[in-house]
Amino acid sequence: MKKTLTLAITIASLAATYAWAEEPRSGGVINTVIQPEPPGIIAGVHQNAPTQTVSGNIYESLLRYDTDLNPMPQLARDWTVSEDGLTYTFYLHEDATWHDGEPFTSADVVFSTDVYLREMNPRTRTILSHVKSIEAPDDHTVVFTLKNAFGPFILAFEAGTMPMMPKHIYENTDFRTNEANNHPIGTGPFKFESWDRGRVIKLVKNEDYYEEGLPYLDGINWHVIPDASSRAVAYENGTIDVLPANSVENFDIPRLSKLDNTCRTEQGQEYFSPFAMLWMNNREGPTADKRFRQAVMYALDREFVRDVLWNGLGKVPLSSFGSNASFQNDSLPPYEHDPERARELLDEMGYEGEEIRLLPIPYGETWVRWAEAVQQNLQEVGINVSTQSTDIGGWNQRLAEWDYDLAFTYLFQYGDPALGISRTYISSNIAKGSPWNNVEGYKNERVDELFDLAATAYPDKKREEYYHEAQEILHDEVPVGWLLELGFPTLYRCDVKNLVTTGIGLNDGFKNAWFDR
Amino acid sequence: MNFFARFAQNRGALVGLIILTTIILMAITAPLFFPESPWRMLQRPFLTPFEVDGFPMGTDTMGRNVAAGLMHGAWVSLLIGLVSTTVALLIGLPLGAIAGYYGGLLDDALMRFTEFFQTIPSFALAIVLVAIMQPSVTSIVLAIALVSWPPVARLVRAEFMSLRNREYVEAARLVGQGNTTIILRQILPNAMSPIIVLASLMVATAILLESSLSFLGLGDPNVMSWGYMIGAARTVIRQAWWLSFFPGLAILLTVLALNLVGEGLDDALNPKLSRERS
Amino acid sequence: MLYARLIIMRLLKAVIVLFLIVIFNFFLIHMAPGDPAVVMAGEAGATDAEFLNQLREQFGLDQPLYVQLWNYVSGIATLDFGYSYRQQTPVFDLIMDRLPATLLLTGTAFVMSLGLGILAGSMAAARAKKLSGSLIMALALVFYATPLFWVALMAVMLFSVQLEWLPAYGYYTVGTDLTGFALVLDIGQHLILPATTLALFSMAVYTRMTRTSMLEASQQDYVKTARAKGLAPGVIQRRHILRNALLPIITLAGLQAGQMVGGAILTETVFAWPGIGRLMFEALMQRDYNLLLGIFFFSAALVIAFNIITDLVYGLVDPRIKESS
Repeated sequence: MKKTLTLAITIASLAATYAWAEEPRSGGVINTVIQPEPPGIIAGVHQNAPTQTVSGNIYESLLRYDTDLNPMPQLARDWTVSEDGLTYTFYLHEDATWHDGEPFTSADVVFSTDVYLREMNPRTRTILSHVKSIEAPDDHTVVFTLKNAFGPFILAFEAGTMPMMPKHIYENTDFRTNEANNHPIGTGPFKFESWDRGRVIKLVKNEDYYEEGLPYLDGINWHVIPDASSRAVAYENGTIDVLPANSVENFDIPRLSKLDNTCRTEQGQEYFSPFAMLWMNNREGPTADKRFRQAVMYALDREFVRDVLWNGLGKVPLSSFGSNASFQNDSLPPYEHDPERARELLDEMGYEGEEIRLLPIPYGETWVRWAEAVQQNLQEVGINVSTQSTDIGGWNQRLAEWDYDLAFTYLFQYGDPALGISRTYISSNIAKGSPWNNVEGYKNERVDELFDLAATAYPDKKREEYYHEAQEILHDEVPVGWLLELGFPTLYRCDVKNLVTTGIGLNDGFKNAWFDR
Repeated sequence: MNFFARFAQNRGALVGLIILTTIILMAITAPLFFPESPWRMLQRPFLTPFEVDGFPMGTDTMGRNVAAGLMHGAWVSLLIGLVSTTVALLIGLPLGAIAGYYGGLLDDALMRFTEFFQTIPSFALAIVLVAIMQPSVTSIVLAIALVSWPPVARLVRAEFMSLRNREYVEAARLVGQGNTTIILRQILPNAMSPIIVLASLMVATAILLESSLSFLGLGDPNVMSWGYMIGAARTVIRQAWWLSFFPGLAILLTVLALNLVGEGLDDALNPKLSRERS
Repeated sequence: MLYARLIIMRLLKAVIVLFLIVIFNFFLIHMAPGDPAVVMAGEAGATDAEFLNQLREQFGLDQPLYVQLWNYVSGIATLDFGYSYRQQTPVFDLIMDRLPATLLLTGTAFVMSLGLGILAGSMAAARAKKLSGSLIMALALVFYATPLFWVALMAVMLFSVQLEWLPAYGYYTVGTDLTGFALVLDIGQHLILPATTLALFSMAVYTRMTRTSMLEASQQDYVKTARAKGLAPGVIQRRHILRNALLPIITLAGLQAGQMVGGAILTETVFAWPGIGRLMFEALMQRDYNLLLGIFFFSAALVIAFNIITDLVYGLVDPRIKESS
């Protein structure tokens, strides 16, 4: 399957979408915020969201993805996938260099994927478990040979998931404590300049970037402002040009959107597609009963929450697969807000007012309000809910130890069910110690089998059959509550052009951005 | 003059007493006026005050009745303030009195113990305690009490140290009064006025402390306190001033009333001073 | 000479107290649910136990608690505060990085609140029966009764958003490379709002305390004697009344000085002031034990220092107190 044609179409559609009518101009330093302050900005060492946001502009992977999640060239200028879906060949940019001047070659790719990331990144390690060998036939070609077909493999070459790390710096060192971690060296459009802890992270333009003319900006300042209201003020008084997704409270969004010279986009989240869910402990108590879990779904007024707490952004999900994930089965009947039906189900199962412990997620005011709404919804159908507030540490610990009845969470879907969805439902993923695996303790052999088959089936048509059947079962058994596919808008000054051009948003977005001032 | 007459001479104290009584009445009668849970989402969110009948203070971010929250919250806030202050006084008073009166090694030991609790800044310690016990009314009250008693102990000690060598104490000692009698009869009454002032301030501080904990996301999510209401309204302060204004005013009035009453008590308990003033 | 020995004794005791505090805090912090590995794995979206174990091993959290305590205490003994798990930087460096900002903020707020508080308090005491005295007290009450963070938010709304007089947040203007006097001026502008906010509450406390104790002191016999001797009212006010009224204020000020780091948590959060208070809160939320313990150690040392100073000043002001130890 030759990818060059798709590539040409992608570029054409991009050009149409973003209407590059005006010639981009160089110059200007952009000011934005990073929240919370990342623990470090080495892409391979830390995998949390703020690290990826900053490091995505310093480090690169082989590909990027547009807002429909079609692959775009990055460090790989071209690529091919064999007919059987087992061999992926990448052709690298020949004049790409590291920020310290060393050339970037296929050896770096092999080192990064086969050595560095296998050790450092648990999510990437899982993906790479499908890979049999990674070879470099010449300096600018890399061949991944898979053990089995793995459809979503082409989606794994994103800067946060598969960042390229310099072999000449890290080989045979302790990756976590290497001195070079104080000064990141990547191949990206921006170079690390300074990090004034608690204040600002500064990146400057990479003058030797291998893509001619890019980037346009002279630099990026990521300000650290820990309070959401202060971040809003910083935007209002002009200090900040861009408010990234999730950086101000939802309640402030409508007001800020109305300010002069303010544009808003909900794009740039497609790769992650955050999906808010309610863990329901399938192991014990009333939540172990399917009817109770269905009753919860009927009791929740999800439209109300979307309209009141999320400014009408986002989608009320049908069931386990979000609308951005491939293979969604949209023939399933949605769970409507139906308190009467919820009460019937509770009567039927003989629920007698046992206390249900609800664990909110401590991610700010919107989430606290949301927990209050859920508590009210559930109390109205007669469920005796007590909310148990925790901080981040407590929340992680209690989920990892399965110490809850109902608990909020939200998960990234990473564009493919095998990357972002199956992990929540397959029984091999039941293990204490992590708040991100099959925390609810759901076990269904058929579902396990279907997810297994679907991940390695080829081509997509076959995967779809398996996934549709899995969704039917999940829809009926409600292992978790499906709350909302979140919509996080990015706010920015309208004279910042081409800010969000990919499905990864700001994480690799500043490369194309420019000031029309 | 009897106690009440002296108290009533201070007009401010009377006003304070009236406000405080009103707030206590609010707390008691809340279930009569608003039998429904203050958490119920009853109307459109962000109704301005008096926009709709039955919602004199409007609705909050979730369409809940602010007036109902305010009245139910009075109970929670007062309770947190009073209980934690009582616990703090029960710990701090005896420790401070013993340390200040006896001095020497005992003083040293007790003061090291007090210092021990004070070496972590109290707000920081409160946060840590709530984080360990995880937020709930009990853990918040306990945390506030545990960080509030050392000032009591130190103030009492300082007063006792300064008073124990006074002439009238020496006189009492000469006529053969026991230590306990001297502490309770001679020194304590004379040390009482700053302690009362401090205690009335502490109730207020506890209410403020609880609101600060709520601000940082460490409040109890099951009870509606004024602190919670301000904490929750903080993010929408630009759109809906009334959400933080009314509970803020309630805290302000309560703290004000507590202080005025404290002053009145001070006057009533310290007749020499009040005679001079009037 | 006696004084010097006294100080040495107090310092020795201080070291013992600090040592006990380290142990106490160590166990206290380990009682909180979760550990740094859980938090960091949670942030990374890590789904396997291997990752968690790697982190625990790296942090030394896989060892028994007493071994961890021993490692920590023996580190402290050589003034090695360890590494921050999360930031992979020596704790000492992180604290030293943030300390100047906090000292500047709390120091300014402390001086401001103490100075203005005593001034306002004595004015209110001198005008106890006048309207102006009542007005001062009413104002102090309002400051006292309004939540700190609420004042902070209101101040930002008014002075930064509406009037655009002062910067809303931060330590200095980012993006400008100011030096010398211009930088001092810039930091000063950024300092006004947070320092004032932080000072208001303590100022109200000092005002009330000063007034109460001055009124009380003015009833003492020696003041009456002084009056009878015909000394000028101003002299009596300063030399006799204020001097004695200062006792409880000194107690309070000694305490408040150490406490300001706590109050700074809120102020630093609202104003994005890069200080110790915020670092502490973040460290607690991240369960970054070493960093949190290090901050507690430093603030504990500060508090102890203030206590010693308080006692010394106390002895100077009140001749009746005989240091028995």
